[in-house]
Amino acid sequence: MPGQYSLLKESWNMVLMYALALIMIFVLTFHLLLVSPLTGRTFDETLTYSFVLHNLTYYRIVFGILLYAAVIHGMNGLRIVLIEWLHVRRYQWAVNLLIVVLIAVLLALGTYTLIVL
Amino acid sequence: MVEENKRYKAGILRSLWPHGFNIERYTYTLHRITGVILALYLIAHVFEIFHVALGPAAWQQTLQELGSLGIFEKIGLWIIAGSALYHGANGLRLILNEAFGMLLGKPVLPEYPYMPTSLSRSQKIAIYILTAIVVILWIWAGLYLLEGLGIV
Repeated sequence: MPGQYSLLKESWNMVLMYALALIMIFVLTFHLLLVSPLTGRTFDETLTYSFVLHNLTYYRIVFGILLYAAVIHGMNGLRIVLIEWLHVRRYQWAVNLLIVVLIAVLLALGTYTLIVL
Repeated sequence: MVEENKRYKAGILRSLWPHGFNIERYTYTLHRITGVILALYLIAHVFEIFHVALGPAAWQQTLQELGSLGIFEKIGLWIIAGSALYHGANGLRLILNEAFGMLLGKPVLPEYPYMPTSLSRSQKIAIYILTAIVVILWIWAGLYLLEGLGIV
């Protein structure tokens, strides 16, 4: 168990990744089903403004959970890949900073989209 | 021995080429590549969906710009669909492996020729089954995406 290590060590990082991945398996499957043939529409028909707006407002909480889980899981995954490529302290510091900024921007944009609709 | 050393010191590009390793290394490499594809798509997707909040005209313009890519838009979405299917299915296998200790062989003392016990029979079966499911769903996704173009 990661409890024997202090907070924010790599082990906790992986527990977070697993937990978010499990959440995403459900909410992302739901999201993909909304644009699948099971809706009785072609793919292009699922992109009409009225259909997208209906989905985003009717399932706002589900999309909110998906947004936060996907952004944190995805950007943290990208960070892990990038910092493992080059073991230089300044590079890794820059990658960490870039990822924190990206997470903040994506969550701000996504949250704004879900709230304003 | 020299050849072995060369293989392990080959650097970034070699890390993307799993040739010469066992099947678990292929799944690992593909998991990383699909993960990067999905992370980059996620950035673009959040910006894309933001245009819904700007109104119908902004959304319509976004669709027109994406539509101007023609079949390349569909091919891109097909690659992303395949990446999501593989990353999700393999991720589920990894959670069973690493978080719950399932599909792994019993630990043994490291003895020559150092066969990994993690690559058990059940592990191999799980990899083959998830690959088959992903391929079937990926073909289905491709047919669905091409439907709108009148190709299928």
